[in-house]
Parts: sequence; C-alpha cells; structure tokens
Amino acid sequence: MARRRTQATLRGYRDEAVRRSGAHRVGREWRRLPGPVRSFVPVIVLLTIAVLYPFYLDSLPGNVPIINTFPTVRSGVTILVFTTMAVGLTVVVGYCGLLDLGYVAFYAIGAYTAGWLASGQFQQVKFHFGSVGISHDARGIHVSIWLVLLIAAGLTAVGGIVIGLPTLRLRGDYLAIVTLGFGEIIPQFVRNADSLHGFDLTHGTFGISPIDSPGFGNKLNNAVGLPVSYQQEFNADRLFFWTALAILLVTIFCCIRLRDSRLGRAWIAIREDETAAGAMGIPLMRTKTWAYAIGAFFGGVAGAYVATFNAGAFPSQFSFNISVFLLCMVILGGMGSIWGVVIAGVVLSWLNVEGLANIGTWLNNNIFPQSHQIEVAKYQFGIYGVVIVLMMMFRPQGLIPERRRKRELEEGTRGSLDEPLYDMRGANGPGAGERGTPERVPRG
Amino acid sequence: MLVFFAWLGYNLQNDPTDFFNIFLIGLTQGSVYALVALGYTLVYGILQLINFAHGDVFALTGLFASTLITTHFHLDETSGAFVILLGLAATFLIAMAFGAIVNASIELVAYRRLRNAPRLAVLITAVGMSFIIQNISLAVFDVNFRSVPPLISDHNVLSIGGVHYNWQALFVVLVTAPTLVVLSWLVKNTRQGKAMRATSQDPEASAMMGINVNRTISFTFLLAGALAGVGAVLFLVEFNIRYDTGFELGLIAFTAAVLGGIGNLSGAVLGAIIIGMIQAFNEGPFLWAPGSDWTRSIVFGILIAILVFRPEGLLGERTPEGS
Amino acid sequence: MSAQPPPEAGGDLLIAGGIRKEFGGLIAVNDLDFAIPQRSIVSLIGPNGAGKTTFFNMLTGLYKPTYGEILFDGHDVTGKPPHAITKLGVGRTFQNIRLFPQMTALENVLVAMHSRLKGGIVGSILGLPRVRREEREAVERARELLQFSGLRRVDDELAESLAYGDQRRLEVARALATEPKLLLLDEPTAGMNPQETAVFMDFVSRLREELSLAILLIEHDMKLVMGVSERVTVLDYGEKIAEGPPLEIQKDERVIEAYLGKAATA
Repeated sequence: MARRRTQATLRGYRDEAVRRSGAHRVGREWRRLPGPVRSFVPVIVLLTIAVLYPFYLDSLPGNVPIINTFPTVRSGVTILVFTTMAVGLTVVVGYCGLLDLGYVAFYAIGAYTAGWLASGQFQQVKFHFGSVGISHDARGIHVSIWLVLLIAAGLTAVGGIVIGLPTLRLRGDYLAIVTLGFGEIIPQFVRNADSLHGFDLTHGTFGISPIDSPGFGNKLNNAVGLPVSYQQEFNADRLFFWTALAILLVTIFCCIRLRDSRLGRAWIAIREDETAAGAMGIPLMRTKTWAYAIGAFFGGVAGAYVATFNAGAFPSQFSFNISVFLLCMVILGGMGSIWGVVIAGVVLSWLNVEGLANIGTWLNNNIFPQSHQIEVAKYQFGIYGVVIVLMMMFRPQGLIPERRRKRELEEGTRGSLDEPLYDMRGANGPGAGERGTPERVPRG
Repeated sequence: MLVFFAWLGYNLQNDPTDFFNIFLIGLTQGSVYALVALGYTLVYGILQLINFAHGDVFALTGLFASTLITTHFHLDETSGAFVILLGLAATFLIAMAFGAIVNASIELVAYRRLRNAPRLAVLITAVGMSFIIQNISLAVFDVNFRSVPPLISDHNVLSIGGVHYNWQALFVVLVTAPTLVVLSWLVKNTRQGKAMRATSQDPEASAMMGINVNRTISFTFLLAGALAGVGAVLFLVEFNIRYDTGFELGLIAFTAAVLGGIGNLSGAVLGAIIIGMIQAFNEGPFLWAPGSDWTRSIVFGILIAILVFRPEGLLGERTPEGS
Repeated sequence: MSAQPPPEAGGDLLIAGGIRKEFGGLIAVNDLDFAIPQRSIVSLIGPNGAGKTTFFNMLTGLYKPTYGEILFDGHDVTGKPPHAITKLGVGRTFQNIRLFPQMTALENVLVAMHSRLKGGIVGSILGLPRVRREEREAVERARELLQFSGLRRVDDELAESLAYGDQRRLEVARALATEPKLLLLDEPTAGMNPQETAVFMDFVSRLREELSLAILLIEHDMKLVMGVSERVTVLDYGEKIAEGPPLEIQKDERVIEAYLGKAATA
C-alpha cells in the first residue's frame, strides 16, 4: 500500500517535471506521426549509430568517468555475437517459457561444426568448396564460411531436436536440470574427444585452430570490391563487426516475425498455460521442440561465427557460466521482449568483455585508495547473480516488458509496468490451478 | 545398466582386491554425497524447489572450516591425537552452525519473498543465489585450493588380503552413521520433524493444524545447511576445496537425490552410495574405465536417464497422472 | 478389460464405454457408459465430487481412462493427447477459467485456431502472401466469433482484465475457434446471476442451431440444465444413477436422494 502511494507520488513528480520542461509538447507532436513511422524511426537511428560505430569510435572521448573507454570494434564483435545468442535464448525461455540452462551446448556445437568444416582438422581428406584465404593444396575440409554458418545452424538445430526429445516432456525444474546436464556434457565431450578409438574428433583441450576466414573470394573482389578474406584484411575487425551486426539483425528480424506468427502465439500460449494450450489444439511436444530448434539454430550461427572470428574453437570458451550469463540477459531485458534483450545483451556483454575491467580501473584510480584496490572483474558472476535475484524479486517482467497494451501507449502513463507481474506460467496439472477470477462488477 | 553390471562382474572376477578397494572408496565418497544429497532432498520435499545454491553453501562452509582448522585451531599432523579430535569436534559444530545459518539466510532473503511466485521464478532465483554464494567464496577465499593437513592418518585400520581400509575412510563412516541416525530420529520423533513431514505433504492443511509453516521451512533449511557443514568437514579430511567445488559436487549430490527418489530421505542416502560407487569405479584402475574426465558426463547421463525413464527414482512413489 | 461399447447407434457422435478411472486407491469414475447423439444438448449433473470433471477430462485427453474406450466421430480417442482430440473436433471450456491472461481476447481466440491454420515457420519469417492472407482471414474470423459470443469492443483487452461474465464468454468463443463438432462446457454459468444465465441459455441453443454442434454441459444450475438439455445424466460417486429427459430426472427418487442425502449429511 505504501509502495503504491510512493509510486504514485514519484509518478506525480515525473509528470510535473515533464510538464515543466515542455517535453510533453514534443511528445504530443511525436504521437501525431503515423504509427509505422513511429516504430521505424528509433530503429533506423539505432541502426545508423551501430553501423557507423567503427568510424566515429576514435573520435569518442577516451577518459569517460566510470567506464573509461568505449568498447573497441573487436569487443564489439563479441558483444554482437553474445547478443545474438541472447535473442536466440529468448525464443526458448522468453516466448515459450522453457528454462534452458544449457544454451552453451548450442554455442559449442556451432563452433565445432565450423571447426570441422573449415579447418585442417580432418587431415585425412582434402575437400574445398568456396574456401577463401587458404591454399587449395591444404588438407582438411574447407567449405565457404557462409555455407558453414548455415550448416552449423542446421546441425545445431538438429542437435536441439535430439536433446529436446527426452527433455521437453519434463516439468519446469527438471527440464532446467537436464538442459544444464547437456550444457555440461557437450563441453566435457569436446574437451575429451581427441581419441575416440584413436580418432581425433575435437583435438581435446587444444581445440581446433586455425579456422578459415569468411570472405568473398577473388572473383567478387575483382567484380564488386568485396573483401577477399576477412582475416587477411587490414581492417578485419570492422568487417567482422558489420557482418556480426548483420547476423544480429537477421536474427532479430526472424524472431520478431516468429513472435507474431501462428507458432509464436502457440509458444506464448504454452508459456501462459500449457494445459489450456494443449486443450486448444496446440501439439505441445512438437511446438516446444520447434522453440528449442530455433533457439539452437541461432546459437549455432553465433557459435560458428565466433569460431571463424577467433580463428579457432576452444573448449575453454564453453562453460555453464555462459548459459547463466545469457539467461541473465534475457531476464534483465524482459522475458520475450526483443528490444529489451538486445539492450540488456549489449550492456551485459560489454560489461563482460571490457566494461567491468574498465569500471574496476576507474574505481581503483579514483575512488579506492591504493591499499584497498579491488578487482571488479572477479566479482562478475556474483554481480550477474545479484542481477538475476533482484530482477526476479522486484521486476520479473524485465526492464522492458514484452506486452505494451495499446491503451498504455495512448495514455502514456499507468499500466502493468509498475506492478510486479509474473507473465511466466509453469505447467500445471489438469484440474489443478485456480485460474478463475473472482466475481467482478460487470462493466458498462 | 546391464552392460555396467557385466563390466563390474568381469572386474570382480579378475581383480577382487582392487574391486573391494574401489568398493570401499565408493562407499566413503558416497557417504559425503549422502549428507549433501539429504540437504537437497529435504528442501525439495518441503518446497518443491531445487536449491541450486546448496552445493555452493557446502563449498563456502568447507572453505570456512579449513580456515578454522589451519589458522585458528592450528591443527596439523604434529598435533596430539586428543587435540585433533577436540579440534575436529569443535570444527564440526561450528561448521554445522555456519552452514545452517547461511542456508537459512538464503531462504529468508530470496526464496521466502517468492513463495507464491511461479516455480520458474524461484528456480531462476536459486541459480542466481548459487552464483552469488560462489562469488562470495571467491571473494573471501580467492581462487586457490584450500586444504587441511592430514589430520587423520591414512594408515590402514584393517588390511585383509590386498584390501585396505584406512583411518580416513573409517572416520568418514564414524561421523556419517551417527549423523544419519540423529537425523532419522529428528525427522521421526521430534515435533519439528513431524511438522516438516506434514508441511511437505500439505502446507495448507499443516498451517490450518497450527504448524508455523515459515518456521518449519526455516528449520528445514537450517537442517540441510548443518548436514552440508558436516559433509564439508568430512570432505576436507581427504580432499581440497575451492570456491567452485560446490558446483560439481552439488550436481552429483543432486543426481544422487533424484536417483533415490527426490523427497525421500533413505532414497537420498541410497542414491548417494550408488553414485559414489559409480564414480569410484569410473575413476578406478579397471580396464575400460573411462576415467575422471568423463565423470561429469556419466553422472549427468544417469540424471537424464532417470528423469526420462523413472522420474520418481528408486524409492520414490509414482505420482498419479495429473499431479 | 473393457466393456464393449454399444454399436454405432443412429450416428452417435461420441460413445464412451466401460469408463473407469482410478487414482491410486480412489475410484473416481466407475464403469460409465455414455453416448452423445449428433447435434444434441446433453447435461451431466451430480453432487460435487461425483466425477463429472474427471470424466470430462478423460473425454478431452487430459486423463487417460484406467479402463474403457472412447469413440468420437468414429475415431478411437481413448488416451490420445488433448491436442489430437481437439483436432478431431472436441472443444472445451474450463471450470476455473483458464484463459491466457496476458493475451488479448482476440489473441486468445486466434491461438485456438492453431490446429486449423497452416502457416509455417518459413512462411511466417518471409511474410509470404499466402501466410499473410491466412492470418488476415483468421483475424476476421476471430472477430466474428467474439461478436457471436456477445463480446463487444473488447478485442484488444487483456483477458485478465475482462469482466467475469465476459471472461466466460471468451472461453466459449475460444473453444468455438477450434471448429468443434462437440462442445464441452464445464460449469459455464458458475458465478453468473439469473439474467446472465438466461442469456447464456439462449446462447447455448443458438450454438446448436447455427453451428450444428453437439453440446455436453456440466452444470449445477438446475434451471439451465432443465431448460436447455434434451437429456440429463446424473452421476454420484462416479457412477451413473439416472439418465433421461429432464422432467423424468427431476422426479427420480435416487437423484433426489443423492442431492438431498448429501445435503443432509454434509
């Protein structure tokens, strides 16, 4: 009760401030623009900022308080890839409500597929198909990276289906544990599979490297000027960055389209009330498996891309921590909210790759005395844990909730955003679950 | 399963002394797992929650205990036997208290608020808490392995044929057995124990019968934490501990609890012993033993197999369809 | 052991024979034979705990009968999963409303069309014209169903924020979206006042007339039951104790005893 009053008071202050600043006039003009324009403009703006990033990065200030420097283009690639995976995980956890604690398995399968199809790993054969940047005498399987991305995605999707078969019929918490299990088994497998009856599948703890580079080959280079081979270009980072951005955009596009499709509705129905969903004709196992497969698909693409970016796939990259890290992004962003996940993904990945270290340095230079220096990066996963726990306790719908009621947008203020909502539903037994609402005063 | 038993049988014939040695190692390890598995099963029984953080509580308590033993009690191999026993006894008690308090605090801070939230939300929170506790261990005790000097000798108590049974293993059993007896008495005969059982079966009815559900749940967490404390000290006798030891051990113990039938106390012990054996045989010297690299995969494989084919475990009851 | 279901009697839509459901030691439904003729409106009544909803759940695939067989429209649906039975043409509402709370009324209805639509993954991602058209038509049909069910101007309201009566109506609209041949209504007027119940009675008749449905009703409101059903079946302790036209049932001694007896000893 007191909380509501505080919230109302704060809202009052906010409205007053808005009114005084004249921002509401801007808001009114903004709302006059036609709907489609309104939804496109922010996207275009963000897109422009992102695409031009490598160009203006150098002109950005270098000694910003707290964060120190802006992320390098190279870090940007990692950030984009992790965000892509977070979007993929959103399909599984956010849309369909399946708690997947083993997403890192898909990442691994994708990366190692790239390792198998675009490196000298399998010295027993010599097969080239569209490979760039490598002599055609080189042994091993060398397929064009663009094709490898697709194949890896497909293979990972199949892997997802295989994992899903025993797993998806389980209840919420058991599902989580089993996915965790697979998320552990697969990395342990790749770490040890260097001598399966003498056959070296994954080269053990050394991983597979080098992995070929993406590129367009000489013909396209001569014709249109496209880069021959990324890894060998002098601005390789930028090329990788833009391609990663493209991959992220495609992933976002697909996921938005799916969310608004028949399948997406089915996923959300399952999330909200699995029993009712089944009763309305939704085939539960099949639909959940599709969610898993699609999540796996994008995880596979991301994994394969990282492998070619790092020119290698190494078992040390894959751990349970990553699965939880991605989950943290999904929770922070808002279950099922694509833009929320993208923002949360970018922020958290940045923290992971550079941000925490930078913040630590800044804190140590400016706040903490010499005698009490702290190493912020060490507390990384504790911080993510705290984020998860706090979000679950106070704002489980995420920072940017998925559903924006149309009324809310029109009226601009009130709404479910201020109340703790649980728009996740676990599976309930038939007949169980008191879902009826008590008598209400009939309206109108 | 059959393949496994065949393999066992073959090895038993071939090399009986090794077989029994490994058997005993498995038994010993299983005992430690049993203590942790009981923690999982107690909490699951009453809240239907997998307390992900339990393994990490175990690790944190172990690290704390190791500091107690080395830094505060100054025990090492040169201390007199009586001093060692006294020191260990004190450590056990303090570790139990520590584990209990940490575990109960987690419930108070995080899970209690989410008592009415959907299961998924609490589960996610448990994962978050696991990371928090692990990070606390990391922050306080750093990345290094901690161990205690060999306080219990690893000389043999008995030696029959080539089969050895050393003091350390005996110590584990000497501590575990009475602990289990006390636990059993607690659950069966005390008021709190009965309250626990009642609440796990039907929280609403229990509340209506005058049972303070909140207090009972706290008690369960305290108990689970205390058991983890005992397990942690026992673990230290033979092994070393790090901030992330809890993760793997927790998962193994959880698998044991599920194998035995989650929510079932004897099941947890039985499951733990079996898993302890499996691990020992896996890492033992036998032909075709996959080795410790594969332990995690094997344990997880077992977990997955149980959940898919026999989710109620060995001693659990088949729940009627729909509940 | 399963009793032989009676042979196809003049095109009965649903035939359940020898149905028995045990939960551990409890027998919830005991050796029940039940048939629903085409285009009929039948009711299932009985004191609380008589096994009505359990039987319902077996018809819709939520429970598997311990013994017995269920034939629907010539297909054996015993123990089939719910979505398969729905696809064959059985729609239902729930006793405790189970709408998808965070979806709008329109979306709730759209979801139920899942098994009748064909749009696939690739088609949806690419936005193929065929899929777009199907979606457009589905939305139109959904709006029609909402109107038909008496829901005005709530298409874009979240289901959880609807008035109780509207929620009940939405449940029916949603069930209709599965294009059922048989509609199972589980206590659809619970919590409604007499006027609303009367309106609902008309609605049920309309359903049968305009959509050619058969309807099975579980109800406690005797006025509705007697007013709209052609046949009433009474369960008590999981067994059928009477079956026949409403007027007969009202006078049946065993039925009166079942109800009054319960009231007296309760």
